[in-house]
Amino acid sequence: MAETFHLLLHGFSIALTPFNILWGFTGVVLGTFIGVLPGVGPALTVAMLLPLTVKLDPTGALIMFAGIYYGAMYGGSTTTILLNTPGESASIATALEGNLMAKNGRAGPALATSAIGSFVAGTIATVLVTMLAPLVIEVALKFGPAEYFALMVFAFTTVSAVIGSSTVRGLTSLFLGLFLGTIGIDSQTGQSRFAFGVPELLDGIDVVVLAVGLFAVGEALYVAAYSSRLEEKIEQLKGSLWMSKEDWKRSWPAWLRATVIGFPFGSIPAGGAEIPTFLSYATERKLTKYPQEFGNGAIEGVAGPEAANNASVTGALVPLLTLGIPTSATAAILLSAFQNYGIQPGPLLFQSQADLVWGLIASLYIGNVLLLILNLPLVGIWVKVLTIPLPLLYAGILVFATLGAYSLHQSAVDLLTLYIFGLLGFVMRRWDIPVAPAIIGLILGPLAETQFRRALAISQGDLSVFIKQPIAAAVLAVSALLLIIPLVFRLVRRV
Amino acid sequence: MKAKPAELIISFAVVALGAAVAVGTTRLSGAGGYARIGPNAAPAVVAGGLILLGLWLLYEALSGGWRNALPDSPEARGEHPFHAGAFVWVSVGLFAEMLLIDRAGFVLAQAALFACVARGFGSTRPARDSAIGLALGLGVFLFFVKFLNVNLPAGWLKPILGTAGI
Repeated sequence: MAETFHLLLHGFSIALTPFNILWGFTGVVLGTFIGVLPGVGPALTVAMLLPLTVKLDPTGALIMFAGIYYGAMYGGSTTTILLNTPGESASIATALEGNLMAKNGRAGPALATSAIGSFVAGTIATVLVTMLAPLVIEVALKFGPAEYFALMVFAFTTVSAVIGSSTVRGLTSLFLGLFLGTIGIDSQTGQSRFAFGVPELLDGIDVVVLAVGLFAVGEALYVAAYSSRLEEKIEQLKGSLWMSKEDWKRSWPAWLRATVIGFPFGSIPAGGAEIPTFLSYATERKLTKYPQEFGNGAIEGVAGPEAANNASVTGALVPLLTLGIPTSATAAILLSAFQNYGIQPGPLLFQSQADLVWGLIASLYIGNVLLLILNLPLVGIWVKVLTIPLPLLYAGILVFATLGAYSLHQSAVDLLTLYIFGLLGFVMRRWDIPVAPAIIGLILGPLAETQFRRALAISQGDLSVFIKQPIAAAVLAVSALLLIIPLVFRLVRRV
Repeated sequence: MKAKPAELIISFAVVALGAAVAVGTTRLSGAGGYARIGPNAAPAVVAGGLILLGLWLLYEALSGGWRNALPDSPEARGEHPFHAGAFVWVSVGLFAEMLLIDRAGFVLAQAALFACVARGFGSTRPARDSAIGLALGLGVFLFFVKFLNVNLPAGWLKPILGTAGI
């Protein structure tokens, strides 16, 4: 524990250099600005801002990303509360009460409880990450390829089959991503797979192109086709921005409970922030002394889900940093940012790149503080952003989104790929096929394949290695149960 | 109830993709080295998975429709009916950008994209949109080229932009 504290202090000494503070600050402001744009969730924000960091040193770039990551989430909640258009599934619970509060002229306190709640939950969760990461690493260092493969299968199952409205559609999305992951040169034998002689495909499909295609181009096509001709209603910021004494009294227990709910969901690879936000909403609804306010804008209903979202998103950094396993679309894009610098997150990273990891963790604390002091005073500016007319807004989003995809290889072929993924995103959105599993499948699929082949190389091709290693076997068994139990339940119910 | 054409098409497309991957897999080399599996193992799993999932989707489509699907009527989803013009204009913008970017350069390509997408979203002021697109494209171009040292094509504007860009 003392050693961890020492490492963290060292991290602060890195994160607090003037340039790194500047990068963190830039990240928070840009992340919030882009995150506020309706229809732009955190995953797309991170993907769109990735090209900005190409020339930075890895530490500076990742510190900036930590800022973008948090800023995007905060910006997203602002939009959710004022416009009732949740940019991602984890914001739906916030939209329930948050938008009603705004309608009742209490937008200020709603934004305040969401900002302060995010700060409280984010900071506690960061403390938990700081303490938990070294422990996970102790265990992870003993893992072999079989255990890693099993954990990745577990992550696949939770992100595709457990959350979302349909197991089969989630799995379809996952396998689509796995297929895209096989395109390009096989890392072990150098053989090209499914590249059809197109040189641009030999390097494989970039996660940024897929994410921007599905989220930005697909979303633009969908909104243009189905809701560009609707009237929009932005709730005005009326009355005081500050929370009353009673608001405080009702908010802080909700923040703390939500942190307890949210963090574990993020830190075991259990698929995203959607479930904990709804769990927190349900908990607050049950525990409140003002049940009549739920459905009319109850402050606990905003405080809880927002804090749960932040705690879970921060918790997701534990599997990402210590095991290299992303559990959300945003984490998948962060992983690709690491890979762009030739860094593979995992237990060894904490030894080989201690400066980078602890600088990053320290910058999470700083990012949370920056968000708190920046955003409440600046909320007026963010509200202005929301008044940009829809045609200019989406035109601008596409200018930046395509720029990100183009600047990867300066190739117009990437723009064609982007459009194809845009069409795919349109179809997936319209027929309710989730996109996050495809993005996670694309980046995690090749890693899982590598671990699988390594495990078999060690066992000389003996498949029973996955059953003989107790940890691997247990994790695989749990994954299988998660997949099978809901199906059995459905069959039993029908009989 | 009759099965919905869109659900059938998507289900078949997933099966077809799985079949195509399966065919492609047979052309890859197999077992190699100590692992006794080669680069064709993962594609084979993917092919099998896609075919099975496609059949599962097909089964759902034929037995009462996909479960928990979104309502078919746009009104029930809180949207307006499919606006083909909007869809086409956004697509035209993206293709214009694709064709222009290597020839006319980044700034003009982004201006064209901006104007077309704005048109698709119902803007009726093409001159204003083009001007904003031009300014935005130029700003981004200069920021990337001068500040971030990322090269972007100057294209037809090379005489004006001078040494910036490629």
